[in-house]
Amino acid sequence: MILGIETSCDDTCAAVVTPDGEILSNVVASQGLLHERYGGVVPEIASRRHLELVDAVTADALERADTSLDDVRSVAVTRGPGLIGALLVGVSSAKALAAARGLPLTPVNHLHGHVVASTLGENPIEPPLLCLVASGGHTFVARVDDPADHTVLGQTLDDAAGEAFDKGARILGLEYPGGPVIDRLAKEGDPEAFDFPRSLPGDGLDFSFSGLKTALLYRVRDLGEDEAERRRADLAASYQRAIVDVLETRARQAIEQYGVSRFAIGGGVAANSEWRARAQELDAELWVPPMALCTDNAAMIAGASRFQQPMPYPDYLSLDASARPAA
Amino acid sequence: MNVLGFDTSTAATSVCLLRDDGEPFERIPTDEQLLGPPGHARELMPGVAAVMSDAGLAYTDLDAIAVGVGPGTFTGLRIGVATARALAHAEDIPVHPVSSLAALAQGIDAAHRLPLIDAKRGELFAALYSGAEELWPPFATSPGELIERVRKASLTAMAAGDGSLRFRQELEAGGIEICPAGAHAVRGLHICRLAALAPAVPPEAVLPNYLRDPDAKPQR
Ligand SMILES: [Zn+2]
Repeated sequence: MILGIETSCDDTCAAVVTPDGEILSNVVASQGLLHERYGGVVPEIASRRHLELVDAVTADALERADTSLDDVRSVAVTRGPGLIGALLVGVSSAKALAAARGLPLTPVNHLHGHVVASTLGENPIEPPLLCLVASGGHTFVARVDDPADHTVLGQTLDDAAGEAFDKGARILGLEYPGGPVIDRLAKEGDPEAFDFPRSLPGDGLDFSFSGLKTALLYRVRDLGEDEAERRRADLAASYQRAIVDVLETRARQAIEQYGVSRFAIGGGVAANSEWRARAQELDAELWVPPMALCTDNAAMIAGASRFQQPMPYPDYLSLDASARPAA
Repeated sequence: MNVLGFDTSTAATSVCLLRDDGEPFERIPTDEQLLGPPGHARELMPGVAAVMSDAGLAYTDLDAIAVGVGPGTFTGLRIGVATARALAHAEDIPVHPVSSLAALAQGIDAAHRLPLIDAKRGELFAALYSGAEELWPPFATSPGELIERVRKASLTAMAAGDGSLRFRQELEAGGIEICPAGAHAVRGLHICRLAALAPAVPPEAVLPNYLRDPDAKPQR
């Protein structure tokens, strides 16, 4: 049994996964509301909350899997990228648990966790595959030939797609996090009402969403407060359409350029109903993970560790977290 | 009782194993380490493994964990507390939270002991002890305010800690004496000793004494 711990952003997560990739438990304590009034994740508040929750969440994951530390054969933990103070809570806890029991420890790249989330669960997908991960913290498209590794083919040069939803919601006077509210409101609006830019920077597969956010800001300003309020559903629908168009374009280009016929989507933006529907139309065998595997979770971390060489005790005692992706 | 104690409230990492027979196995940081960059994640568990091996003990031999809960560096405190809690959970033993300022005061030889931990942003975390008594509970202050408060109380205080090194000139000019070199680390041994006086707490109830609200600047 593998115990996974993930504390890279604002969700405190622990999970128990078998070496075959069966998920026995996947517990997430979300801090979303705690950060709502700040309009974004406050690193120090997130770190404090992780420390309050990490032991209870770990105990809960073991209990729900109907097991105990005695049956755990290895520990997996998110090493980065993420908020350094937040990561260090999970890394410290995982190291101490593993060391006390003399267990091996596997440090996992959070992004790789998202990429191989699709190899877990009821209906796992196998490489070679392409994967588009879009969340509040990251947006990238990657190629996976071997589950131990992935190659980033393109990534956002500024804001992440989920961040564009959050910032858009703020401009429209909606609550945080913005993804679900914009998705709901967009259903009542006309996605063609406003023409927002679809930025496709460079010759490769990179993304850029900061110009879109600025375009929305100017449009709201031009309309004036009352009119913008009255046409909020149209604005939300048009804004969402622009984001989804960009994701779809990059997905199509990746499939064309790399000739890989399996495509997985992931990250919190995979919960967006328009993106989910549009991804179905891609010219590939599509894998849409259940929500619990899209947003940050520890099952994907424990799952990713299956494809890596674990560090035996005591080699990992000096392991540090890393805010940036490992080189 | 075999007690493992550590402190991560300053830039340095202190660890001690106080064995059942009263013999301590300790890693005491130097004054240079107190003023250097922090490396708690890289240093704490290797330090723990080293003192355990020096003492010839395994994790299953531990009876309690003692941890300095600050005040001090937020990230450092979380590394210490998360480590203490996880070790205690894995071994099913209690945790004794200890004030890092109280532990620092244990190393001061004077009637009025003034432990000072650097609080960054030009401030200090301070407390005042006389004998076993805590005259001033932990608080955050500027060096200027502290000098004023000590002066008003008309007492001669002896200070130690990374905060006293950081603001040495200003404090000495204000009439506060500073301990000689070697007395400025929050020692693991003192954490272990104070643990005997502090009640044991269920591991999940142990949290840092931050003494300061978080900076509420969102990440994005
Ligand atoms: Zn993520």
